[in-house]
Amino acid sequence: MTEIPEAFSFSHTKQPSGGVHDGVVTDVLCPFCGCLCDDIKVTVTAGTITGVENACTLGAQKFLADTGRLPKPIRRDEDGWHEISYDEAIEYCVEILKNANRPLLYGWSSSLTEAQAIGVHIAELIGGVIDSTSTVCHGPSILAIQEVGHPGCTLGQVKNRADVIVYWGANPTDAHPRHMSRYSTYVDAYFMHNSFRDRKIIVVDVRRTATADIADEFLQITPGGDYALASALRAIVRGRDDVVPAEVSGISKVQMMQVAEMLKNAKFGAVFFGLGVAMTRGKYKNVRNAIELVDELNRFTKCTITAMRGHWNVYGSNEVFTWISGYPYGIDYSRGIAYYNPGETTSADLLARREVDAAVIVGSDVGAHFPRACCEHLASIPTVLIDPYPSATTHLSTVQIPTAVNGIDAEPGTAYRMDGIPLQTRQVLPCTTHFTDYEIFSRIYARLKEEKGA
Amino acid sequence: MMRVTLTMKPRSNPFLPIEAEQIIPENFIGSRQVMVYEGNKEHSLLNICVIRRDGNVNTPENVSLILRGDWSRVKRVGEYMSSGTIVVEGDIGMHCGNFMRAGKIEIRGNADAWLGREMRGGVIVCHGDAGDYCGSGYRGEKRGMRGGSIEVMGNVGEFAAEYLTGGSVAVHGNAGCFAGVEMRGGYLTIDGDAILPAANMVAGECVVKGRVLEMVPTFERVGEENGMIVYHGDIANRGKGRLIVRSTSRTE
Ligand code: SF4
Repeated sequence: MTEIPEAFSFSHTKQPSGGVHDGVVTDVLCPFCGCLCDDIKVTVTAGTITGVENACTLGAQKFLADTGRLPKPIRRDEDGWHEISYDEAIEYCVEILKNANRPLLYGWSSSLTEAQAIGVHIAELIGGVIDSTSTVCHGPSILAIQEVGHPGCTLGQVKNRADVIVYWGANPTDAHPRHMSRYSTYVDAYFMHNSFRDRKIIVVDVRRTATADIADEFLQITPGGDYALASALRAIVRGRDDVVPAEVSGISKVQMMQVAEMLKNAKFGAVFFGLGVAMTRGKYKNVRNAIELVDELNRFTKCTITAMRGHWNVYGSNEVFTWISGYPYGIDYSRGIAYYNPGETTSADLLARREVDAAVIVGSDVGAHFPRACCEHLASIPTVLIDPYPSATTHLSTVQIPTAVNGIDAEPGTAYRMDGIPLQTRQVLPCTTHFTDYEIFSRIYARLKEEKGA
Repeated sequence: MMRVTLTMKPRSNPFLPIEAEQIIPENFIGSRQVMVYEGNKEHSLLNICVIRRDGNVNTPENVSLILRGDWSRVKRVGEYMSSGTIVVEGDIGMHCGNFMRAGKIEIRGNADAWLGREMRGGVIVCHGDAGDYCGSGYRGEKRGMRGGSIEVMGNVGEFAAEYLTGGSVAVHGNAGCFAGVEMRGGYLTIDGDAILPAANMVAGECVVKGRVLEMVPTFERVGEENGMIVYHGDIANRGKGRLIVRSTSRTE
């Protein structure tokens, strides 16, 4: 990452520092989902991306449909939106944060880890709350891991060794389209003779998804039935099938016995779970139960479990927040020390209870994903959105500051794959029009330090 | 007896949370200044409420705190309390009675989440409803409430008595999902209905006198007592707890 000089002036035009105007960039990291595919090939013609190879539709769209970016920061007043300079936008941000009683810094999953780190320092300086999008996705999975640990492994291990794969409450065909071709179902394994044919796929879901269509065993459970099914499978695996009723969560005991046998007989089992487990009734207890099932299976064979992290660098936000504060998300610095209690210090709860009096939303769309009460509150307080594109959250904000897009025209930095592997992004295009979020947060932090005399 | 009445003043932003762990009887003996946090700013308690003292005593067991006005956003009242009484005339915010060791807290309204979190002793009576995690542990903690008693006249939210390890929690209304989940000991009684009670329990006793709307499938029926069905479990967790229910949706 380039060092930000103390006297950095946002009034100056940004100098291009990388990327190509014409040519092909290889080994590009896809900036879309948690798979962080790092084999993308991008063709640039006259400063525009004209071709993308190896990416799935979602990833290709991210590169090719990179239109509609906000050209400059904007501010809303009684007459509507007006363009302002980066310096003015940053001063506004500093102004609302420096004296706020309950400031919230939310989002961060589209940011590089370098920018996330500055975010934590800002939260500490202003006595605010910093939270990432994991609060509305795999936050419960982290709670479960804090209770019972995490028998995990890298995706490379799964690719080369796993002969039984379980997708539970996850539909990678639609949400992580290259997951199966790079790491599981369709990929050649180094330690298997005929991996494509020998590998067995089990899918657990409430509806028949495209992923379920290619499964060897599909368990169509009743909504909210994940916990009970995991309990039943745990009892069966440990030989206490006598207590399990004839049907659990819509699944017959015969099928549960069959699945338990497949899992026990695996040479290497890999369970992937999605929000169908982590964000349905029971939340972290569902995930905990799935982890304990995997623990039980490890008495018979090797088995691992991994969350299907969705938002690009959400895993990085949890890593960075934990290095610095000791906690992975929902960190409250209001008393100068880090405090963490999901349900109390997490964004949706803070906004619904109308505690927050100033907010900075970073690269995420609260307006599209949070409950109405949260959006209403956000619209009633000074809110700065830091995001390259206008979104539903723009309408809730008073100022929006556009940034360069990480992985496209932002300078290289670090992002974490869903299995906790840090990878370096590439800069595909040169950028002279937008500052990166790292630059913007460095500037905000420097100005807040001046204001606070820190 | 000394009666100390704390009457909340009107606040410019009534939604801002206040953290007030110093509101325990022993801190009102003598002239000690009690501090609270409102958002990220520290104030004297005098900034947020009017304090009136009637009587004068030397020992905290003879101190009775009366909380009057809107205390629904005030957290951690009674934290580490070891004697005396607190009476909340209306609602109280989160974490009331955290780590309480002795004494009594009476809440005449509703209590927000984490009532009596990791309580060690003493008595809490809530005349209204209590939020989620009533009588539970902190995140990642392996043992929740370890002693004392909590009685809730109304309903409780989800995950009540999670990791209950000692003491008793009595709910006269209904319980949300996962009451008594991960129980390690102690007694949980629910007079109303419950959903997936005592899941993954290891020890202790959970009694549901209303309906169990959904039952964890890995409890073993071992008999009947006083017209109620007795289960052992949670078998999935090699548990040896007792779950006693009047009726369940489970088909054996
Ligand atoms: S699977 Fe995810 S990371 Fe890979 S190309 Fe598709 S969107 Fe990008």
